Amino acid sequence: MRLLLNRLGQTAIVLFGVTVVTFFMMHSAPGHPLQANPELRLDPTAVERWLELQELDGPLPAQYISWLSRMFRGDFGMSLIYSRPVKELALERLPATLLLTVPAFLLALGLAIICGTWAALRQGGFADRLLGLGTLAGLSLPSFWLGIILMMLFSYGYPWLPAAGMRTAEDSSVSDILTHLILPLTMLIVGSFSYYVRYVRYAVSDVLSQDFIRIARARGFTEIYIVFRHVLPNASLPIVTVAALSLPLLFTGALVAEYVFSWPGIGRWIIISTMARDYPVIMAVNLSTAALVALSNLLADLLYLLIDPRLRIKA
Amino acid sequence: MLWRKIFVSIMITFSFFFVYGCQKYRDATDLQILHVAVPAGPITLNPLFARDAISLEAASLLHPQLLGTNPNSLEVEPRLFASWELQADNQTYLLSLREGLRWSDGTPLTANDVAFTLLLICHADYTGWLYPQLSFIDGADEYRKTRHSPYAQGAIPGIRVIDEHTIAIRLKQVHAPFLSYLTFPPLPAHKLQNVKVAEMEAHHNLRNVAVGAGPYLLTAWRPDEFLHVRANPDYYLGEPAIAEIFYRFIPNIEAQVIELLAGKLDLLPTAVKVEDVEMLAADRQIRVHKNNRLVYDYIAINQKKENTPLKDRRVRQALAMLLDKEELVANLLLGYAEVLHGPLLPIHFAYDSDFSQDKGSLPAARKLLLQAGYPQIKLKMIINSGNIVRENVALLFREQAAQVGIDVQIHALEWEAFLAALTNGDYDLAILGRGTDADPDLSYHWHSLGAGNRTAYANEQVDRLLEEGAAVRDREMRTELYRQSQALIVADVPIIWLYTRLAIHAASADLQGFVAHPESLFYNVHLWSLVGREERP
Repeated sequence: MRLLLNRLGQTAIVLFGVTVVTFFMMHSAPGHPLQANPELRLDPTAVERWLELQELDGPLPAQYISWLSRMFRGDFGMSLIYSRPVKELALERLPATLLLTVPAFLLALGLAIICGTWAALRQGGFADRLLGLGTLAGLSLPSFWLGIILMMLFSYGYPWLPAAGMRTAEDSSVSDILTHLILPLTMLIVGSFSYYVRYVRYAVSDVLSQDFIRIARARGFTEIYIVFRHVLPNASLPIVTVAALSLPLLFTGALVAEYVFSWPGIGRWIIISTMARDYPVIMAVNLSTAALVALSNLLADLLYLLIDPRLRIKA
Repeated sequence: MLWRKIFVSIMITFSFFFVYGCQKYRDATDLQILHVAVPAGPITLNPLFARDAISLEAASLLHPQLLGTNPNSLEVEPRLFASWELQADNQTYLLSLREGLRWSDGTPLTANDVAFTLLLICHADYTGWLYPQLSFIDGADEYRKTRHSPYAQGAIPGIRVIDEHTIAIRLKQVHAPFLSYLTFPPLPAHKLQNVKVAEMEAHHNLRNVAVGAGPYLLTAWRPDEFLHVRANPDYYLGEPAIAEIFYRFIPNIEAQVIELLAGKLDLLPTAVKVEDVEMLAADRQIRVHKNNRLVYDYIAINQKKENTPLKDRRVRQALAMLLDKEELVANLLLGYAEVLHGPLLPIHFAYDSDFSQDKGSLPAARKLLLQAGYPQIKLKMIINSGNIVRENVALLFREQAAQVGIDVQIHALEWEAFLAALTNGDYDLAILGRGTDADPDLSYHWHSLGAGNRTAYANEQVDRLLEEGAAVRDREMRTELYRQSQALIVADVPIIWLYTRLAIHAASADLQGFVAHPESLFYNVHLWSLVGREERP
C-alpha cells in the first residue's frame, strides 16, 4: 500500500513536470494557431482581436496558471481551431480509435503467444524458422508501405475492400464497418505481432531450458500440462511488461494506419492539432498520454505481484 | 483440448472476417448520391468565420451567396440579390433580393438579415477575414472602432434597409470592385441577433447549421469522416437533382484515387496530382476537368536588409532573367500551369496575354550585374520543405544563378520556421504562393497602403493609377489603367512572377453539369446530376 502511494506521488510530480515543459516549449515555438496554416484567409486586425478573445495575449505564467486551475476542475478548455471543448473532440474520436487498436492489440498478442510458444517448443524446426523469417519481414516492412500494398491489392487490384474511412454512411451495418476494418487491422497486426512474438518465443524458450521443466517432464506430465501449468506462468513476466507498455498506444491511436486508411481516430486529430498549434489540445493530449504511461507502468507492477508470489513477499 | 478450442475460435473469427471481406460491399454509387473526397474535414460550417478553403466550400452547400461570380469572366452574377443599380453618385448601390426567399424553418429571408450580417462583419468583435472588404462602406470604420454593444446592433450610416427586399449600401468613395466582395452568405437574424458577436464563432447554431437557405440541408457531420447533406426541396433556384452528397474526408490522396477508380467516389476536386492526370484520363469512367485559379507562385525579394545588392534594380532584373519559365511549367508541372510575367492573372478581365518580361539571357544578366558593380553575390533562398515543385524551382534557380556569379544557398525550412524567417526578414529570396481577388484591382498587394503589401512596395505613379482604376466604372478604361500599373510594377521587379497553377478535378463520367469554377467548387450545384443512376428507393 505504501509502495502504491509512493508511486502515485511520483507520478503526480512527473505529470506536473510534463505540463510545465509542454506548456512553455509549445508557446516558445514561433507562431500561433492562426499563423500555422499558410492558406488561411486572415485580416490582421481581426487576428489581434481573436488573440484577445482567446486570452492568448497575456503573460505566459498567468496563462499557465489559468490553464492549471481549469484543468483541476476537469475542464481541458476549448480547442482554438474547432471552437469546441477539447474533451468533446477527444471523446468523439476515441471510439473509432479503440475499435481499431483494441482488436489489433488482442489479436496480435493472442497470436503471438500461440505462435511464439509453438515455435519455442519446436526450436529449430521448420515452423520456427518460418516464423523467424516472417517476423523479421514483419518488423522490417515499413507499416506505411505495407498499408499501401494492402490497399493496392485488395482495393484496386481486387476491389473487394474499401480503401478509406470507417463506414459508408451514417446508418451503416456492422458488416460494413467490419469490411472497412479489415485492411487497417491487418496492417496493425502484422507490425505488432512480429514485435510480440519475438518476446514470447524468447521468454518461453528461456523457461523451457530450466531444470524444473526437465523434472516435470521426467515425472511424466503431458506436454500440454507442462506448457500451461509451468511454462506460460513463468514466461509471462516479460510478456506482461511489453504488453502493458503498449497500452497507452491504444489510446493515442495508430497514427500511420489512421492516415493511410483515413480512419477517423484520435491520432489524426492529434497530429493536425499539433501542426496547427492548438495549444489546449496539445496540453490535454500530452498530459493524458503521460498519465497513461505512468498508469500502465503501475499496472505492470501490480500484475507482477499478482503473477509472481515471490515478489509479493518481497514487497 | 484447450489448444483445439483456441484454434477453432481463432479460425471462426477469421472466417467471419473473410466472408465479410470477400462480399463486395454495398455499391452506393448506383444511386443519386454524390461522393466527393477532400483531404481534410471542414473546421467549421460557419460561413463568416471559416478561414480555410475546405470549410468555405462545405459551408457553400448549406448557405446561399448574396451575389455570385461567373466562372469564365468572374463578373458578378445575380444570386439572392436578383438585381442592383448604382445611384447617380456612383457610390450608392441599391440591391434587391428575390421575392419569396425563405430560411429552411419557413421564416422569410429579408433585407434585415442582410443588414444584420453586414453589421456583424463590421463589428469590433468579428474575427473572420471579411471586414477589410466591407471597410469601403461609409461609416464602417467608425462602427468597428466604437464598440457600442456586444451584439451586432446599432447602425452604420452607409447601410439602409429600404423595405423587406431592398437594401441601400453607400460607399465612402467610388470603388468599382465592391459588388464582387458581396459573395458571402447572409445569416438568419431571427436566430442569431441575441448572440454576442464574440461568441458567434463557437455558436452551435452556426456549426450545425440549424437553419439555412442553401441548396442542401445538413443531415450529419461526422468529424474526420464525412459531411452528409440532403437536397433542400425549397431551394430558391430549384430543388437540386442530386438527392444527397457525401463529402468525405480522405487525407491519403492515393486512397482517394483508388476509391475513384473503384467507382466509390464521384469527384476529386482541385487536388489531383499532375502525375496522375494521364492515368485518370485514360479511364473511360472518369473525366478530368481543369480551370484557372486565382493563385500564383513567385519568388519574393527582400530589399529591407542593409547594404543588400537587391536594392539595386539592375540586380533584381538580372535575377528575373535567370529562369526559363516555359520550360519550368512544361517539365515540373507537366503543362498544368500558365507562365506569369506580372500580377494580372489570365482569368482577370484586364489580363494582357501579350504582356511579357524581357526574356533576357544569362550573358545579359551577367552584364547587368557587372554594371551594378556586383560580380559576385551570395544570396540566401528559403523555401518551405515538402513542397516538391518549389524545391525543384529553387534547385533550377540555383543552377542558373551559379552561371552568372550568384551563389544561392537554399534553406528548406519547416513551415513555422519558414514563416518566422519571413517575418524577421532573415532571407534574401523566398519562394511563396499567394491568392488574389476576383477583380483585377491590384491595390491589395501593390498600393503603398494596401493591406497585403508585405514587401512595402511603393510607387506613387502606381498608387495613382490603382486609385483611378477603382474609381472608374468603365471596363475598358479600367483594363487600360491596370495594364499600365502592371507594366510599372513589373519594371520595378519587386518580386519574380513564376506561374499560376491550374486546378485539376477528376470526376465520374456520370456527373453532368459540373462547371469548374475558380472560386467555388459547388457552383450551380443544383444543376448537377448523376446520369444513369436511380433515385433512392
